[in-house]
Amino acid sequence: MKRSKFSWAAVTLLTLVTVSCSKEAAETTPKPAGSAEPAATASAPSDLPEAATIKIYTENNTGWPAKEDWGVWKWVKEETNITVEQVLATGPESLALAVSSGSMPDIMSVFPEEVQKFGPQGAFLDLSQHMDKMPNVKKYLDSKPDVKERVTTPTGEILSIINDGAGEGNQAVWFYREDIFKKHNLQEPKTWDELYETAKKLKEIYPDSYPFAVRHGLNTLNYIGPSFGIYPELHRNPEDPTQMKFGMQDPAAKEMVGMLNKFVDEGLMPPDWLTMDYKAWTQFMTTNKSFITVQFIGQIEIMNNQLTEGNLKFMPPPLGAGTKGYLPKGGAEIYGLAVASTTENLDASLRYLDYIFSEKGRDVQSWGKEGETYTLVDGKRKFNENYKEASDLRVISGIQTAGTYGWFDFDAWMALVKESEQPPYIEAPKYRMPVAGDLPMLTAEEGATIGPANDQIWKYWTTETTKFIFGDRPMTEWEDFVKGLDKYEVEKIKAAYQTALDRQIANAK
Amino acid sequence: MKSTILKRFKKDRNYLLLLAPVLLYYILFKYVPMFGIVISFKDYNLFKGVWESEWVGLKYYEWFLRNPDAWNIIRNTLLLGLYRFLFLYPAPIILAVLFYLMRWKKYRRFVQTVSYMPFFMSQVVISSILIMLLSPSTGWINQMIQWVGFEPVYFLQKAEWFRTIYIASDVWQQVGFSTIIYLAALAAVDPQLYEAARMDGAGRWKQTLHVTLPGIVPAMVIVFILQLGGILELSFDKAFLLGNVATIETSDIVSTYVYRTGIIGGSYSYASAIDLSMALISLLLIYSANRVSRKVGETSLW
Repeated sequence: MKRSKFSWAAVTLLTLVTVSCSKEAAETTPKPAGSAEPAATASAPSDLPEAATIKIYTENNTGWPAKEDWGVWKWVKEETNITVEQVLATGPESLALAVSSGSMPDIMSVFPEEVQKFGPQGAFLDLSQHMDKMPNVKKYLDSKPDVKERVTTPTGEILSIINDGAGEGNQAVWFYREDIFKKHNLQEPKTWDELYETAKKLKEIYPDSYPFAVRHGLNTLNYIGPSFGIYPELHRNPEDPTQMKFGMQDPAAKEMVGMLNKFVDEGLMPPDWLTMDYKAWTQFMTTNKSFITVQFIGQIEIMNNQLTEGNLKFMPPPLGAGTKGYLPKGGAEIYGLAVASTTENLDASLRYLDYIFSEKGRDVQSWGKEGETYTLVDGKRKFNENYKEASDLRVISGIQTAGTYGWFDFDAWMALVKESEQPPYIEAPKYRMPVAGDLPMLTAEEGATIGPANDQIWKYWTTETTKFIFGDRPMTEWEDFVKGLDKYEVEKIKAAYQTALDRQIANAK
Repeated sequence: MKSTILKRFKKDRNYLLLLAPVLLYYILFKYVPMFGIVISFKDYNLFKGVWESEWVGLKYYEWFLRNPDAWNIIRNTLLLGLYRFLFLYPAPIILAVLFYLMRWKKYRRFVQTVSYMPFFMSQVVISSILIMLLSPSTGWINQMIQWVGFEPVYFLQKAEWFRTIYIASDVWQQVGFSTIIYLAALAAVDPQLYEAARMDGAGRWKQTLHVTLPGIVPAMVIVFILQLGGILELSFDKAFLLGNVATIETSDIVSTYVYRTGIIGGSYSYASAIDLSMALISLLLIYSANRVSRKVGETSLW
């Protein structure tokens, strides 16, 4: 008995020793090559504030998987003495779960609709109360009245700060295979009718192709809608921005859906367009199966780099209805940052926000550091060789990914865009729709009057529109569908947002 | 009286101790969370907490009833559950009897093992396999359909296919594992009964009909009642993963709707009101099934 007791003790002791040893070993493991020890000791200001650790919740993008040794986090540590632990979203419900569990990360990347949803519940800190600690944030907001307007709630609170600077990349554009068009003597289509004819010709030449491809499922309507002068859902009327309208009620929506129905019916769009993802879309675009598409502006270059022959070229949006074919109003960012109302690291969180919105923070988080990411050549910054295209900034260093910056210097991004790929960035703004698809903020009461109506009407219009596009419901029944919107309280929703819009306009005066 | 209870406690204390962890499990994970249903009668605010939130009575139940899609969602759930029950209930009985009749023991054991496998795969994996198999452009099933000379079918984009896919894959997934309980029941059938039947000149078919099947009736009834109670317990994962806007007409069930409004939409009170309503329907189902079974046969759950 005694012996067994002794051996138990020995085993326990042994385990303890092993555990502590391995822990120590893990902590002293040399950092992977390339992430050289911070040269901070030499250059960093000696009056660094007290060390702190905060958690930041960000998107989880498979295009640029988050890494712990991303430069962006290292620079934050060097500049502010804050260690950042990145918490990644695992799905659309991640934020909701974080909020409802009560253990929110200190800082969260949020979309305006999430602020609308959880703000009134008290999830986010009212930052307007803390502006004295964030002079740089205050300066930023004062210099960007449009951003300030978008983040101020009806009661004057500021629950999140929307980023700025990288919005230029957030622009969906039309592009096509220039070489294929030239080879078959085809012109850039100016209207949707021409687009249809061109696609038909391409289908004749390449019978197993699907000339027009998209990759955002039904969300694509947000990108092609503007060429018909609408967004599919609620938005400001581009002709009279003081009025709200519901896109699907516009006769132009019928034109759009009818067109898409023809495209699907005649095999001009892939049959599984609704569920196609980035990978599938890439395959279609790089293997001569699709020739015309609508996609984010940066993808032109990325696809051109992947094409073994031929090239993709920007084209103005074809006109579907009205007098001018538009692109969605890009150029503005939608992601913002909020601080958890329950944070225990208030000072550090505010310090982080203040840093990324400062001039210094803007520069470091956009460009990295001299010698480390870029060198000065003739007084101009030049990124190191390992950054081959702009998206490498994200992949390698985490630059321009959610939560790592507040106010981006887009010159850093453009520095890696080839000269031949720059024209779209100049052309696209000319075709922007005058209004964006974002909504004015509701008060808690207004939100309560709508209740679940938003989800109900979403389900209705997406289901029915899908049926129309697939031809499961004849276009002759379109008017019945529009009438059906009333049953889903479209007028009530519109009225609530109209009230909010009126208030927003009045406050801005 | 009091002393007798105490005495019995003392006498059975070892057994009671054994029971304690299970009891604790039920209290902690099944009964305590039930108090959460109170939020369906309140305007639940996450940060005020359950007690500080305002009472709103049946507001959220009204919301659900006023929702033009409510009937569609309830109907989808009931139909999917009912069809699933209709196919999933008899399938393992048939398979178990077939296993039992199989004379080549090695082959039988092999098939049995293979049939258990899908049960241990997660719904996410199963759904991904299904999506790949059923794809109109690259899926095997559609390639076969095209070889035979037909047009490919867009299975996952047609609302009318959703239930078939859901239930067929569920049967494939569950049938093997569910045979276990019947095989156990079959092993308990008295061999003398077979001998007697053979004496009377009964063939394999007659033996199955008059000895095997009656022998497992009690097991069948218990499983029947248990499954009836679970009719509305449809897997959220699969409905969520296989459904999309094109099939939402049939694929939107209570759990996916609760996910959308409750988790994504952030209306926790509303979501719990919907869920509680469905739980009540479920309770009604199992209660009536038990009543019927007690009247008709001798077996019942309570």
